[in-house]
Amino acid sequence: MLDPRTISERTAAPLVRLTDATIGYGAPLLTDVSLEVRRGDFLAVVGPNGGGKTTLLRTLLGVLRPLAGRRTQSESLRIGYVPQRDHVDPYWPLTVAEVVLMGRCRLLGPLHRPQAADRERVRVALTRTGIEDLAERSFRTLSGGQRQRTLIARALASDPELLVLDEPTNGMDPAAELAAMDLLRDLHGSDSLTVIMVSHRLEAVANYARRLAFVSHEQRLWRVGELEQMLTAEALSALYGRAVAVREDGGRRFVYPLASGVSRTGSDA
Amino acid sequence: MNAILDFWAAREIWRDPLVASVLTGGLCGFLGVYVVLRRTVFVSAALTQLSTLGLIAALLIEERMGVEVEHAGVQLAVAIAFSVAGALLLGAVHGGRRLPAEAGVGITYLAAGALVILGANRLVHAAHDLNAMVFGNAVAVPLSDVVVLAIVAVVCALVHLLFAKELVFVSFDRETAEALGLRTGTWNGVLFFTIGLAIPVTARVLGALPVFAFLTVPAAAALLATRRLGTAFLVATVIGVATAGGGYVLSWIWQLPTGATMVVLASLCVVPGLARRAQLA
Repeated sequence: MLDPRTISERTAAPLVRLTDATIGYGAPLLTDVSLEVRRGDFLAVVGPNGGGKTTLLRTLLGVLRPLAGRRTQSESLRIGYVPQRDHVDPYWPLTVAEVVLMGRCRLLGPLHRPQAADRERVRVALTRTGIEDLAERSFRTLSGGQRQRTLIARALASDPELLVLDEPTNGMDPAAELAAMDLLRDLHGSDSLTVIMVSHRLEAVANYARRLAFVSHEQRLWRVGELEQMLTAEALSALYGRAVAVREDGGRRFVYPLASGVSRTGSDA
Repeated sequence: MNAILDFWAAREIWRDPLVASVLTGGLCGFLGVYVVLRRTVFVSAALTQLSTLGLIAALLIEERMGVEVEHAGVQLAVAIAFSVAGALLLGAVHGGRRLPAEAGVGITYLAAGALVILGANRLVHAAHDLNAMVFGNAVAVPLSDVVVLAIVAVVCALVHLLFAKELVFVSFDRETAEALGLRTGTWNGVLFFTIGLAIPVTARVLGALPVFAFLTVPAAAALLATRRLGTAFLVATVIGVATAGGGYVLSWIWQLPTGATMVVLASLCVVPGLARRAQLA
């Protein structure tokens, strides 16, 4: 049995940590990256296209090794991963339930077939993401929003402590984007999931994340901090290389680029 | 009617070749679902060339260096080694930022094909053996080949039965499988090992072109006609078995080239799926 001090240390220990890491595919993309993701965190990684967001995510996942520095993770960490849905092959004739069941694959291990308990876990994940009625539908016939929910359900079926999402709202219409982000907020809040997401849609994360990380390969920029410190017009203008305004209206934050020639970088928020 | 009676009377002759053809059709039909869905159709073409190259290497070693590899089992083992090595290599290649993976497959196919021509050109005595192994000879398959084929089919079936969920997951969404902690390189290797193992053994029976066709056409027909992955595997296997067996019988009765008859029959199976899709569209 673990003593209370050990339990407390384990709870306080970061789920994933990068220490002085250099990341990239062969050539360094970002250097001196240090980051801790703790239990209950909601971290959004933002930055311009090609800035290294997905590379950072893959390094955090452990799929890509840092070129220098260290990556550590808590013992037997369970990760749920939601890839960019365009990366998931639409040719495979799989039902939604079959896709979600893949989330159990690692937990089952080789030579073990899914049992009733695994199918129940799939049903719960489908219900949690609001697509239980789509269980027998073909994955390839789904809309973008439905596919995204299926991929989130698959991640949930793996009983994750850490949910990692790569551009989860990419290509969605505003209503679907809002619904997807509300679902993530619920999962973070009521299901106590730790969330890391990559997005180039600042609007999408400005009202949900607790911490922001700025990534820009071109500017050799790497910063991480609390949302309130990071979501300022000055910081965002520096990140995107053009004037950006931040405004708060009706309890929601809005982030938008200003027309060329407008030099105002002050925040209304 | 007489032709059918003649065919039945000759059953001692065609029994083993028919069994070998049916096993080839079923095995290639099943594996073809992975080959088609993973967009690696031309990997199987490159592997048939590599297995032929392995065979030529064995024959050249025998002729030029006097090393005894005349035994058909040794020749087949060398062909399998070339094919499996190529399968593991091509299965591990994802393409880079400069060249897509297809370029590597194309280069392998062309280089192996060119080496086959050059190697065959240097063979003196073994040209006949080579002809039979490259183009197959389904009319006369020795029992030993049927046994080897049956063993390979059982091995592949067991691997795919036991590790279906891993092989499907890694093939469908490698990135997520890797993120969830699956050893994607190993599972990819297992899948391509079975494909690399099956190709030289089946090509020895039917020849390179029919094997390439059976790794593509039954799976394509099944995927057009079905909506579930499990059903697609089953239907592709059935189409492979039926068209290999049916093609063999028809080629015997009508005195047609065996491999070509099988391929034409298999290709006809694509028509219902295409018609259904056209109707739905």
